[in-house]
Amino acid sequence: MRLRLVPLALILAAATLAACTPAAPASGSLVYGLTLAPTGIDPHLNASSELGIPLSSVYDTLVFLDPGTGDFVPGLAERWTISPDGTQYTFTLRRDVRFHDGTRFDAQAVRANIDYTLNPDHHSQKAAFMLGPFDRVDVIDDFTLVLVLKEPYAPLLDSLSQVYLGMASPKALEAWGPVDYQFHQVGTGPYVFVEYVPNDHLTLRANADYAWAPSVYTRKAPAIETITFRFFTDTATRAPALESGAADIIGEVPPQDAERLAADGGFTILPVAIAGQPLQYLINTARPPTDDLDVRKALLIGVDRGRIVQTVFGTASPVAQGPLSANAMGFVAGAALPGYDPMEAARLLDAAGWPLDPVSRLRTRSGQSMELIVVVPPWGSNPEVAQLLEANWASLGVKVRLETVAGFGPLKEAQAAGEYNLIGVNLFGTDPDLLRPFFVTGGSYNWANARSAELDRLLLEGSQTTQDRSSRALLYVQAAELIRDQALVLPIRDYVNLVVANARVRDLHFSAQGWFPLLIDLQLAS
Amino acid sequence: MIRRALAVASVAWLVLISLGALLAPLLSGTDPIQPVGPPLAAPSAGFGLGTDALGRDLLTRMLFGARFSLASGLLAASLAVGIGGVAGLAAAMHGGWIERAIVWAANAMLAIPGLLLALMLLTAMGPGVTTIVLAVGLGGAPGFARLARAAFLAARQSDFVRASHALGAGPRWVALRHVVPNAGTALLSLATTQFAWAFLGTTTLTFLGLAGNPSLPEWGAMLNEGRLHLIDAPHLALWPGAAITLTILSVQLLGNWITRRQAGADARRAAAQIGS
Amino acid sequence: MVSPSDRPAAGLLTAAGRRALDGLLTAWAAVSVTFFALRLAGGDPVASLLAQGLASSEQADALRHQLGLDLPLLQQYLRFLGGLLRGDLGRSLYTGQPVTRIIGQQIPYTAQLAAAGLFVALALGLVLGLLAAGEDRGRRFPLASGLAGIATALPVAFTGILAILAATRLGQVSVSDPATLRSLGLPALVLGFASAGAVARLMQAGMQETLAAPFMLAARARGLRRGPRLLWHALRPALPPVVSLIAIEAAFLFGGTVVTETVFSRPGLGRLLVGSILQGDFPVAQGLVVLSALVYTLSHVAADTLGLILDPRLRRTE
Repeated sequence: MRLRLVPLALILAAATLAACTPAAPASGSLVYGLTLAPTGIDPHLNASSELGIPLSSVYDTLVFLDPGTGDFVPGLAERWTISPDGTQYTFTLRRDVRFHDGTRFDAQAVRANIDYTLNPDHHSQKAAFMLGPFDRVDVIDDFTLVLVLKEPYAPLLDSLSQVYLGMASPKALEAWGPVDYQFHQVGTGPYVFVEYVPNDHLTLRANADYAWAPSVYTRKAPAIETITFRFFTDTATRAPALESGAADIIGEVPPQDAERLAADGGFTILPVAIAGQPLQYLINTARPPTDDLDVRKALLIGVDRGRIVQTVFGTASPVAQGPLSANAMGFVAGAALPGYDPMEAARLLDAAGWPLDPVSRLRTRSGQSMELIVVVPPWGSNPEVAQLLEANWASLGVKVRLETVAGFGPLKEAQAAGEYNLIGVNLFGTDPDLLRPFFVTGGSYNWANARSAELDRLLLEGSQTTQDRSSRALLYVQAAELIRDQALVLPIRDYVNLVVANARVRDLHFSAQGWFPLLIDLQLAS
Repeated sequence: MIRRALAVASVAWLVLISLGALLAPLLSGTDPIQPVGPPLAAPSAGFGLGTDALGRDLLTRMLFGARFSLASGLLAASLAVGIGGVAGLAAAMHGGWIERAIVWAANAMLAIPGLLLALMLLTAMGPGVTTIVLAVGLGGAPGFARLARAAFLAARQSDFVRASHALGAGPRWVALRHVVPNAGTALLSLATTQFAWAFLGTTTLTFLGLAGNPSLPEWGAMLNEGRLHLIDAPHLALWPGAAITLTILSVQLLGNWITRRQAGADARRAAAQIGS
Repeated sequence: MVSPSDRPAAGLLTAAGRRALDGLLTAWAAVSVTFFALRLAGGDPVASLLAQGLASSEQADALRHQLGLDLPLLQQYLRFLGGLLRGDLGRSLYTGQPVTRIIGQQIPYTAQLAAAGLFVALALGLVLGLLAAGEDRGRRFPLASGLAGIATALPVAFTGILAILAATRLGQVSVSDPATLRSLGLPALVLGFASAGAVARLMQAGMQETLAAPFMLAARARGLRRGPRLLWHALRPALPPVVSLIAIEAAFLFGGTVVTETVFSRPGLGRLLVGSILQGDFPVAQGLVVLSALVYTLSHVAADTLGLILDPRLRRTE
């Protein structure tokens, strides 16, 4: 009897030992290339998508969005309920979560984060808006809280799944304040923030104590010890950086370079579709000549969008068909946009009172020739697209003046001055409610100066329809058709990020939003 | 002999690009902003110099680029020569505290490197081609003022001027009739150098992306565009780069040649005076 | 002819001291010009922040008060000078970080590049200059002098691009970790090449003049053969103009580093400057101008002093 017990005990011991052995500790290092240098990288306050690339692994969120199913899965919140009227969200939080500075994550921490975000002196550029008609936080006990809204707000869970509402250590927020916190960020995520030198590098180190990975992460603990982010804002440097090994992964690689790298170099291209708005230009309805609907329509069909996309982006991007990319969550394609028809465009311009002057070959009305001012942001190949727009419109006899701006700040400044007919801007996101600030009367991004009661109604209702997904989707189809009929926006291409990785890299996955890599899943080839 | 050949070649190049600039619309037939073929096409029978990344004809863009680049350089140089020349003349003719003030101001401005001065102006006024021209022009003025003053001072010592003074002529008359013409050739040589410097300045600033308008076919901007495609289409950068270099080289060689000829003429004149 | 001063040490000191004072005054003037130009020609930086939604109107007023923009111009200027003496250049409009820190982080990169470039310029320039001076006596066409001429005509941007092209064709990739010294090689070569031409020209002129001078003939008559010692004899008087040229070239180097950093996409002050201009972050741009004015003036003073040491004749020109 005894002899049999020994092997059994040994087996049990071995099994227990195997179960208790922690996964292999994180090791190795990797360099990830960033392509934009944001002016600020505090996700609660700044709006750039680029900051999310490193920081979405520094923070966890209350819920996570599963890219496969489109459902929300538990994150820092174990479970939640939504009240029938859609205004109260009750969250029960995990109890085992610790911030990187050792402090405990609890309901007070959630409240501190929301207060920090909503503090008007902090001027949150994105996160505050993502909370919608927020009223207050009611803390029930250490791990239960209720978020109370003034009105139902369908996008709330989506907002809470993004890095902009990631949970930061209240102690760190308090200690550093809104100006300096971005250099000392503390979250609960699989990677710890080490240091950030603007426009130079940002370093993350694996969080050895990470034990609360959500189901959207394949791995439960990080494999790579150090990840350094370096900036490659100059397009010409991205391919050489990959070739020389200065970086292992870079996004936004120009199509020709990506193809060349994949063909000769043993690199892998991952085209990642980014949800949200396509690369587009809003058309200013408040400034002549684009205050005339016929002129706007003429401009839209006077552009060969297919050719532009092919010239600038190769085969990597689909041509955009509406104000949202085709891969947006729950997107239902409405009627497609009218195709390229320069003859009809010319006819529309004539009918609108802008005939072609035979001498100057320009569209002229009472002695003035038509001139469009286009404000062009520097990212995403916007300057190239804008130059082709100029060429298309020039052949219609429309004079175009292109004005490039250097960054998001100058872009907003140019917009505030009001002297533009078209302006390039687009936001990314997984919830179609991101259309609302763009097209609702008085919306913060209503740079087209749209004023349609019907559009207001549709978009408001869409934001409040929490229960029925398909009827919600239908509202946005109607909104898209209205936007098309009023020619408020010129969409160019559905955003596809061409990410190129070298042979060292394994298991590069991206979150549902598209921009953010799941650093925890990354492994190095042995 | 070879120097002569180089001078002739320089003039030839400058005449060539000037003609190209003036006659650009006639010579090319297409709009420099219109795509006419597949992007990044190599030079061939159809497209003499190839096409750029957006399919626009490079020959057309080079011709129109000659316009913008030469015009910017000329305007900026004129500004520098104009302001600097007047300041230098005033300093040389009046002397005293005016001269000291001007010299001191020029030195102070020279303490700021030319490019930096230009960038400073661009900070204040925002990017754009007009600002670039203004910035390069103002940046070149102090240096030219110093050189011009030296040239005028030398001319002031000449016999003509002394004779005029002896005859009781007033300073302004002397300045216009004698000092300026006598300094003329020296100034011409300086002015050509100034143009080379200004041309380099404007093309460098557009190369750095400060022109504001991305479709402008300007050589410096085109050089910057060429950077993105060095591996697959090096000709995009080679044409504008070579053109800029040849232009600067030609202007410098021409300037040298003028100086040598003038030095030779002066020497001959001095020898003739001694002999007589 | 040259007569030695009775108190040579004092002569050097007063001359150097005068130069330093002059330099300081010039630097002050340059910095002041910058200040007024930016204030008068530029827009209101706080208005820019307002337009971008980065500040409410109360905050804008508070910021204006903090920056002293609501004071009369003269008072602002005095505040600016005071801050300068304390080493306070203000804060970036966007990140709120002290300008001194932002600049300080980028200085090492640019300093490395500039030093390496200067070294290349001197080395290459000296060699070319010597070759050109030597050749002229024998041949009719000075090749080295021609090369020097081309070096001055080639814009740094084009040289840089050609260098990258050549490197890529040869299988070497140009962009690598800028922190390593190896990545400095090509950019330094490109940067130095442009200055080398000017150095060579000066060297050539100086050398030719000196080689023909009587004292050189005397030295040769004494039996000093062609070789390093003769070279040093000939070189020494030719150096002062070269040294002062270095100071002038420091200005060129500045512009050259901006372009070189752009072409090779290296981090540094060049990229910081262009970036801050495009973004309208004028405290940073202003700080960089101040820094470069100081560096420029300092190098002039240093060069002049070095010249005074090398050539005693210059001390008497005051």
